[in-house]
Amino acid sequence: MSVIFDTVEKRYPDGTVALNQVSFEVPDGQFCVILGPSGAGKSTLLRCVNGLATPSRGRVIVNGVEIGAKSLPRLRPTIGMIHQGFNLVARSTVAANVIAGALPSTSTLSALVGVYPRRFQQKACTLVGDVGLPEQFLRRRVRELSGGQQQRVGVARAFMLDPAFVLADEPVASLDPQTSVDILALIAREARARGSTVLCSLHQIELARAFADRIIAMRAGRVVFDGAPGALLPTVVGRLYGPETAWAGRAEMRGALKCAEQ
Amino acid sequence: MRGAMSALAESEGRSSPAWRFPQPYGWRSGATAALVAAVLLFTGHRVELDRALVMTGDAVAAAAGSGRPSQVAAGFSTVARQLFPLQLDERTDIDRIENFDSRRLPPFAHVETTTVRSRELNPNTLLLEDRFDRKAVLVQPFGYAFKVGQKLLETLEIALWGTMIAIVFGLPLALLSAQNLRFGRMAYYASRAVVGLCRAVPELISALFLVLAYGFGPIAGVLALAIHSVGFLGKFYAEDIENADPKPQEALIAIGAGRLKVFRHAILPQVMPQYIAYTLYILDRNVRMATVIGLVGAGGIGQELKGRYDMYNYGHVGTILVAIFLLVLILDQLASHLRRAVI
Ligand SMILES: Nc1ncnc2c1ncn2[C@@H]1O[C@H](COP(=O)(O)OP(=O)(O)OP(=O)(O)O)[C@@H](O)[C@H]1O
Ligand SMILES: [Mg+2]
Repeated sequence: MSVIFDTVEKRYPDGTVALNQVSFEVPDGQFCVILGPSGAGKSTLLRCVNGLATPSRGRVIVNGVEIGAKSLPRLRPTIGMIHQGFNLVARSTVAANVIAGALPSTSTLSALVGVYPRRFQQKACTLVGDVGLPEQFLRRRVRELSGGQQQRVGVARAFMLDPAFVLADEPVASLDPQTSVDILALIAREARARGSTVLCSLHQIELARAFADRIIAMRAGRVVFDGAPGALLPTVVGRLYGPETAWAGRAEMRGALKCAEQ
Repeated sequence: MRGAMSALAESEGRSSPAWRFPQPYGWRSGATAALVAAVLLFTGHRVELDRALVMTGDAVAAAAGSGRPSQVAAGFSTVARQLFPLQLDERTDIDRIENFDSRRLPPFAHVETTTVRSRELNPNTLLLEDRFDRKAVLVQPFGYAFKVGQKLLETLEIALWGTMIAIVFGLPLALLSAQNLRFGRMAYYASRAVVGLCRAVPELISALFLVLAYGFGPIAGVLALAIHSVGFLGKFYAEDIENADPKPQEALIAIGAGRLKVFRHAILPQVMPQYIAYTLYILDRNVRMATVIGLVGAGGIGQELKGRYDMYNYGHVGTILVAIFLLVLILDQLASHLRRAVI
């Protein structure tokens, strides 16, 4: 699935311009990282893809179909989303949270009763295993899990309907460096296995370099860089985060990346 | 040492003795207190609290043996004398039992013969004469206690069904009136109005009219309780839906799940402990109300109570009151246990 942003502008009611003349095209199957400091508009950009936010101007086109009230009910089930705050039901079990990802394809009656079709039950088990959680976790309540474990649940839920498109909004924002690498590797692996296109927002440059096929960098609602990870030069990074953030620092993050490569 | 301390305080420019520390109470609080006191005194006098105080004091003094007559003490002792002994057995005149068969008595029952004295005018002597009739009565030991038990069960059933119906109607009304589920303006206002109206109708009053429509008996009771409870549950349920964490909901909206699915899988699990607590509270309340609305004929123990009271059968009334007291006590314990178990 491809996505086209065509001169998208998003102005919130309070006057904040979160997206300003944003245009780009992400082809099918690409792992595209949206990079930028806090408040750059990354979340807003991702939310324009599945209609959680509506552009004030311009168009968002997914697989040739413009996002709008008419197309959303059909498009949304094909777009999985992984959230920064995990957005799981803390009191519910891992099983309930993961299988809820299949709700759009479950009849209202069986959804209300709370009994999902067998194939979804099977699939939920497979996915929980794929994201690296043991079987007994199925019955565990999400609030009893660590942050990293919760995000694994979030990833499993996002892939329940084999989405052709995956939106990951700072999926590793509150996780330690090693867990961040693990989760991103997980998302990349699951997406590659399905040929899904990924739009993933991050604010760690090292992680972006390690996982992205392509990086789009934003600052204050504008795209300031769009290209291959190798082309993201220190000068660009400096412009992105202001003079104080340069290459160095984050040594622990690079250490974690090396471990992942081995 | 002291000099050094004050020098430090001065050099930092803090702790000025000329500053005034803000006081919690000012002339405003004094005026408010005076006004409240005046209103309380005035209304207290209007509802005769002063008289109540005096009468209660007299009664306590009388009980302690002051020897002075007390209206309240006399009243209470009359009530106590009439309520006790509690009526536990059931006595029926055998003449009133159709096809009485003395060889086939109900279990545990026996027949007693009593002599009843009555005065009659003798037409020959024109004098009042005592007449002694022998009367056979069927006595069922604990027969009345058993009947009270049955009525209590009926009361519980009325409360249970009133609550069940309230859940069935209250939940959809709550969904429609929760603003974050966006069922639309019309649904919002209509359901809010229905819920508000239900809450505004006291059970005792709706029961009065429901008895006219459905006749004496439990139907009126169940409906009266249901109507009022819908008003409460509809409001409580809706408030929790609106206050539920929106993040899990957004996750399901993002993949295109409809409102009902979002409610069932992102909201209901969050609010379930609260819903159970509310429902248990309403059930607890309905049991107590179910005894009261029986007074206007809406079934259950209250109806029996009213009937006996009107027939001056105070022994029976005593039994009923003790039974209600025990029931409420037991239910209170049960409810708090349940509440602790589910939350
Ligand atoms: N619902 C909203 N109403 C008003 N302003 C908003 C709203 N959501 C976001 N904004 C504003 O839009 C701008 C971009 O926000 P956005 O959440 O897209 O940034 P972000 O890049 O995701 O930041 P972060 O890395 O902190 O998540 C910010 O200035 C923010 O204050
Ligand atoms: Mg964000």
